[in-house]
Amino acid sequence: MDFERFIFYFFAAVLVFAAVRVITVRNPVHAVLHLVLAFFTCAGLWLMLEAEFLAITLVLVYVGAVMVLFLFVVMMLDINVSPLREGFIKYLPVGLSVAALIVIEMFLVVRARNFGTDAVAIPARHGADYSNTRELGSVLYTDYVYPFEIAAVILLVAMIAAIALTMRRRPETKYQNPVDQVAVKSNDRVRLVKMKAEERQ
Amino acid sequence: MENVYLAIPLAPLFGAIVAGLFGKQIGRAGAHTVTILGVAVSFVLSLVVLKQFAVDGADPYNASVYTWMVSDGVRFEIGFLIDNLTALMITVVSFVSLMVHIYTIGYMHDDPGYQRFFSYIALFTFSMLMLVMSNNFLQLFFGWEAVGLVSYLLIGFWYKRPTAIYANLKAFLVNRVGDFGFLLGIGAIYMAFNSMDYATVFAAAPAMESASFEIFSGVEWSLLTVICIFLFIGAMGKSAQVPLHVWLPDSMEGPTPISALIHAATMVTAGIFMVARMSPLFELSETALSFVLVIGAITALFMGLLGVVQNDIKRVIAYSTLSQLGYMTVALGASAYAAGIFHLMTHAFFKALLFLAAGSVIIAMHHDQDIRNMGGLRKYMPITWFTSLIGSLALIGTPFFSGFYSKDTIIEAVHHSHLAGAGIAYWAVLIGVFITALYSFRMYFLVFHGKPRMDEHTREHLRETPWVVTVPLILLAIPSVLSGYLIDPVVFGDWFNGVLHVAPGHDVLGVIGEHYHGPLSFVLHALAGPAVYLAGAGVATAWYIYMKNPAIADNIAQRFRGLYTLLVNKYYADDFNEAVFAGGARNVGRLLWRVGDALIIDGLIVNGSARVVGWVASVVRQVQSGYLYHYAFSMIIGLLLLLFWFVFIAQRVGA
Amino acid sequence: MNIALSEFAPLSTEIFVLTMACIILIIDVFVSDERRIISYVLSLATLLAAALISWNMLDNETAVVLNGTFVSDPMAALLKTSIFLITFGVFMYSRAYLVTRGIFRGEYYVLGLFAVLGMMVLVSAHNLLTIYLGLELLSLSLYALVAFNRDSAQASEAAMKYFVLGALASGMLLYGISMLYGATGSLDIAEITAALSASDEMGMIHIFALCFIVVGLAFKFGAVPFHMWVPDVYHGAPTPVTLFIGSAPKIAAFAMALRLLEQTLGGLAADWQDMLTILAVLSLAIGNVIAIAQTNIKRMLAYSTISHVGFLILGLIAANAEGYSAAMFYAITYALTATGGFGMIILLSRSGFEADQLDDFKGLNERSPWFALMMLILMFSMAGVPPTVGFYAKLSVLQAIIHVDMVWLAVVAVFFSIIGAFYYIRVVKLMYFDEPETEEPLHVSTDLQIVMSLNSLAVLGLGVFPGALLAVCAAVLVA
Repeated sequence: MDFERFIFYFFAAVLVFAAVRVITVRNPVHAVLHLVLAFFTCAGLWLMLEAEFLAITLVLVYVGAVMVLFLFVVMMLDINVSPLREGFIKYLPVGLSVAALIVIEMFLVVRARNFGTDAVAIPARHGADYSNTRELGSVLYTDYVYPFEIAAVILLVAMIAAIALTMRRRPETKYQNPVDQVAVKSNDRVRLVKMKAEERQ
Repeated sequence: MENVYLAIPLAPLFGAIVAGLFGKQIGRAGAHTVTILGVAVSFVLSLVVLKQFAVDGADPYNASVYTWMVSDGVRFEIGFLIDNLTALMITVVSFVSLMVHIYTIGYMHDDPGYQRFFSYIALFTFSMLMLVMSNNFLQLFFGWEAVGLVSYLLIGFWYKRPTAIYANLKAFLVNRVGDFGFLLGIGAIYMAFNSMDYATVFAAAPAMESASFEIFSGVEWSLLTVICIFLFIGAMGKSAQVPLHVWLPDSMEGPTPISALIHAATMVTAGIFMVARMSPLFELSETALSFVLVIGAITALFMGLLGVVQNDIKRVIAYSTLSQLGYMTVALGASAYAAGIFHLMTHAFFKALLFLAAGSVIIAMHHDQDIRNMGGLRKYMPITWFTSLIGSLALIGTPFFSGFYSKDTIIEAVHHSHLAGAGIAYWAVLIGVFITALYSFRMYFLVFHGKPRMDEHTREHLRETPWVVTVPLILLAIPSVLSGYLIDPVVFGDWFNGVLHVAPGHDVLGVIGEHYHGPLSFVLHALAGPAVYLAGAGVATAWYIYMKNPAIADNIAQRFRGLYTLLVNKYYADDFNEAVFAGGARNVGRLLWRVGDALIIDGLIVNGSARVVGWVASVVRQVQSGYLYHYAFSMIIGLLLLLFWFVFIAQRVGA
Repeated sequence: MNIALSEFAPLSTEIFVLTMACIILIIDVFVSDERRIISYVLSLATLLAAALISWNMLDNETAVVLNGTFVSDPMAALLKTSIFLITFGVFMYSRAYLVTRGIFRGEYYVLGLFAVLGMMVLVSAHNLLTIYLGLELLSLSLYALVAFNRDSAQASEAAMKYFVLGALASGMLLYGISMLYGATGSLDIAEITAALSASDEMGMIHIFALCFIVVGLAFKFGAVPFHMWVPDVYHGAPTPVTLFIGSAPKIAAFAMALRLLEQTLGGLAADWQDMLTILAVLSLAIGNVIAIAQTNIKRMLAYSTISHVGFLILGLIAANAEGYSAAMFYAITYALTATGGFGMIILLSRSGFEADQLDDFKGLNERSPWFALMMLILMFSMAGVPPTVGFYAKLSVLQAIIHVDMVWLAVVAVFFSIIGAFYYIRVVKLMYFDEPETEEPLHVSTDLQIVMSLNSLAVLGLGVFPGALLAVCAAVLVA
C-alpha cells in the first residue's frame, strides 16, 4: 500500500466516522463540530483528486462561514434535543435495515466492475503549471454560462425568499414610533366627555 | 366565398346567443332587433348565393371548414356543400324564417317569454341552415337533432300547460324512433363506405349496388336497400309520415309562428330534403323507392281525410300539412325529386301564409281556435281574408297558382312511374286532391263567410291585426301565387342537373318534360286531366255542405257513424301507441326497475361497492399521518422497491 | 470559446421574463401599499407579452445553443405559451384573495415569475445540469410561496414538509444524474443518448440511474408512492399558492419527463415503461379512492391531482408520438381545469373565511347560478364527461394506450376514473340539490368574475372544439 492510498483510506474512514457521529451524538454543538470534521476530511479527499480550488472553497465557505453560522444558531437557540430523539431507538432497527439494504444495492451496482480502473481509464495527471482555478473559470463563463446564470438567479430567489419570509413586523410585538410621539397633541391624549350626572338611587 | 357561407348559419346563431343569454339586459326590443338582423343577414347572403348559382352559374362548393376530430382515420368535419339545391333551400328557409320573426313581434307581443322565444326561433334557423348546408352525414345528423331539440323546446314553449308538455314529449319520443332508424342508416353507411362525406359515399355507391349482407344468418339483404330504408325511417319521423305522424297535429300546442316556421315550412321538410340529397343512393334501390312511394301515398290520402273532421283551425292546417308532405314523399318515391323539392318550396310559402293567417284570426278571436265559433270574418279582417283565400287556392291547386304547378307535376309524375305501388299511389293522390279542396274550403267558408257565431264581446273587438302581422301575410302571398312559374327552370330546366341524380329508367319528369311548352300550355294540358275538376268538385261540395245546407254535414256524420268516429279518433293511432308502446314500455320498465335496478344494481352493486370503496378509503387515508418522517420513509421504501425489482429481479428474469 | 450574440436569440423569452422580474422587484420596493396594484399589472403584462413572444416561436426551427445547454423547439414554445397563460389566470385569481387577507405584496408576483422562469428552463433544457437547475429554481420559489403567509402556522408546516421532501427528492434525482454522468461521461442529452446507443447492453448501472431519476420525476408529479407531500402542501398553502402549484408546474413536469425519459433515456424505454406503469396504477387507485374520504375540497383536489397524474403518465407509457401528444394535451388541459377548480375556492372565500370545505359548496346554485354552472363544467371536465375537454384528454390517452396493446391498463384507468367520478359529481350534487348553509351573498370582484368565466368556458370550448389543440400538440412533437 503506497502512501497515497493510505491517506485516502485514512480520510475516508474519518469521513464516515464523522458523518455517523453527526447524527448520533447527543449534544448539537458536538454534532456541528463533527460536521466540520467531515467537511475537512472531504476537502482532503478532493485535494487528492486534484480539485484544489473546490477543496479550498469547501473549507472557506462551508467551514469558515456556514458552519460558524450554524454554531451560533445552535448555541443561541439552546435546543433540548432529547425529546426530538425519543423515537430514535424505536425506529433504529427499521432504519438500519433499510439503510443496509440500500448500501448493499448500491455496493452491487457501484463496484469495481462498473467504475473500476478497468472500466474507466485513469485520468492523466496534470503538470505543475496546470491551474485548476483558471480552467474552472474558463468553462464556467463559456461552456456553462447558461447554468451559471441560472445558478445566479437561484441565489437571487433564495435571497428574496429569505427576506420576504423573515423581514416583517410581527403582529404581537409592541414598538414605539418617535415621530408619532413627538407629533402628538394634547387633544389626542385625553378626550373629555360630557355626561349627564346619574340620578341618585 | 367561404366567409359568406359561414356567415349564413352563424348570423342567426349569434342572434340566438345574444337574445338567449343576455335577454334581460337588452330587453324586448333588443332581442327582436338582434335576431331579426341575424336572420336578415342570412337571407340577404342567401340571395347572393342564389344569384351566383342562378345567374352566374357558379360551380358547386364542397369543402370542409373545420376538422372537429379524427378518430381511427375517420374525419369528423364541419363542412359545406353548396349547390343549386342548397342555394334554393337556404333562401326558402331564411325567407320564411324572416317573415316569421317579424310576425312574432305582433303575435307574442304580450308574452313574458318574448326574448326566449326569439332566441329559440333564431337557434332553429341556425340548425336548419346547418342541416341543409352540410356536406357530411355527421353534420347532417347534428342539424337533424338540433332542429328536433328546438322543436321540442318550442312545442313546450308554454311549459305550464300540461297539454304542451304532453305534446312536446310526444314529438320528442316519436322523433326518437325515426332518429334511431336514421342513426342506423348513417351507421350502415359508415360500415359500408368507411366515410362520412357525401361526395365519397355517392362516388362509391354505384359499385355497391349489388352488395348484400346478412343480419340474420341465411337471409341476404341488399345493402343499399337497407341503408335507404333506414334513412327514410328518419325522414318519416321528421317529415311526419304514417305511422310516425302522430306528433305533428299535437305540436300545434306551440305558438302559431312556430307552427308556421317549423311544422309547415321548414323542419318537416328536412326529411324531404334529405331524401332528395340522397338521391344517388335511393336511385340504386327500387325496393326503397317503392317503400317511399307507398308510405307517401298513404299519408297523402288518409291524413287529408282527418282534416275534414277537425274543428281547431290550426289542426285543420296541420293535417293538411301532413297530407302535403305525403305528396312530396310520393314525388320522391316516383324519382321526381325536382317536383318534390318544388312542391316543398311552393308549399313552404302558401302553408306559412295559411298558418300566419290562422294566427292572425286567432289573435283577433282572442285566442279562440274553434272554427265553429267563427264566421263572417271577411268584413272585419280584409287583408287576412284575402291572403287566406290566396293561400287556400294555392293549396288546392287552382290553375295559375303556385300549388297547381307543383302538385300537378307530382300527379303526372306518379302517373308515369312504373315502380311497384305506383298505381295505388296515383289513385291516392287523385282522391287526395278532392279531399284537400274539401277541407280547405270547409275551413275557409266556416271562418270567413256565413253568419258570425262568436259571442258579443269578441265581435265588438274584432278588427284587422297590426302591420307586423299583415305585412308578412302580404309578402308571403306574393310567392304563393308567383313561385309556380319557376317550374320552368326548377323542374323541367337544368337547375338540378348534377345535383339530383335520377336513373334513366326512372326519369318520369323527363317524360313529362317532352310535352311541356310553358306554364300556359301546362294549364291547358291539365284541363284534360281529372285533377282540376276534382279540386273544383271539392270546393263545390264544401260550399254546398257548409254554406248552403249545413244540416247535411250532421246528416252525413249520423249516416256514417262508424267512419266518422274512426276519423275523429284519428284511426285510433294515438290510442294504439298509448296502449301498446307507451303502456308496454312502462310495464317492462317497471319490471326492470323493481328487479334489476332497485334490487340488483342499486342494492347490491352501487350501494355495496360504494360501501367497500368508502371503507377502503377511510382505512388507507390513515397512511397520510402528517408526520414528515413517515413521508420521507415511504419515499425511500418506494425507491428501494423500485431498485430491488428493476435492477436485480427484472434483469435476471429478462436475461 | 466565443459565444455569438445570435445564440441568445432563442432565449429571448427567458431573458425578457428575467428582466421583467427584476424590474418589478425593484419597482415594488418603491411603491406604497396603496399602489401595489402596479406590480400586479406589470406581472400580468409580462406574462402576456411573454406568451406572445413564445407563441411566435412556435414555427421556428429547432435550435440547440449555448454549448448544448439550451434547446428551443416547437414543443418548448407551445408548453411555455400555455404556462404563461395559465400563470396569467393564476395571478388574476390571486389578487382578490391576497388583498382581503392583507398579504397583497409584490413578492408573491416576483416569486411567481421566478417560478415561471424555472419552468421555462425545465421546458427548454438540453442538458441534465440545466434540468436540475431549472427544477431547483422552480422548487425554491414554490417553497417560499408556500410559506408566504407567515402568520399561518399551517402554511409554515406545509412549507417545511415540502422543502425537506423536495430536497430529498432532488437529492435522489441528482444522484441518478451523477450515475448517468459516471456511466456515459456526459451531461448533454444528445451525447448521453449517443453513448447509450453505442453500448450494446443496458447495464445495471443505467437502470440504477434510471430508478433514481424516475423517483425524482415522480416526486415532482406527485405520483404514488412519492405523493405524500401533495395533500399536506395543497391543504396548508394559501389557496392562490395551491392554485399555482397545482396547475402550471404539471406542464413543466411533463416537459421534464419527456426530456429525461424520451430524449435522454429512450433506449431504456422498456424499463421505464414498466416503472411508470406501477406508478400510474398506484396513482390512479390511491388518488381516486382516498379522494372520496375527504371533506376538505383542497385535499380532495390534491388527491384528484394524483389520480390525474396517473392518467398523464399513461400517455408517457405508450412511449410513442401519439402517447406523448396525448399526455401533452392532458397536461395542458388539466392545468387549465385545475386552475378553475382552485379558483372557485378563492371565489367563494371572503375575508376571514376559507371556503375549503365541501359543505361550503352546498346550495351554490341558489346563491349564484352562473358560478354553480361554471363549477359544474369544471367538475365534469375533471370527471371526464363530454363535451368538456377532460373527456377528450382521457379519450386520447386511452386511445394511445390501447394502440400499444395495453388494454388492461386502459380498463384499470377507466375503472378508477369511474370511482373518481363519484366525488366530482358529489360536488355538483351539493351545489344543486342541497340547501345553502349561509345566506351571505357572494361578493366577487370583476377581474375574478371575468377570469373564472373565461376559464370555465375555455374548458367547455376546448371540449367542443378539441381538434385545434390536439393538432398542435401532435404537430410540435413531429417537428
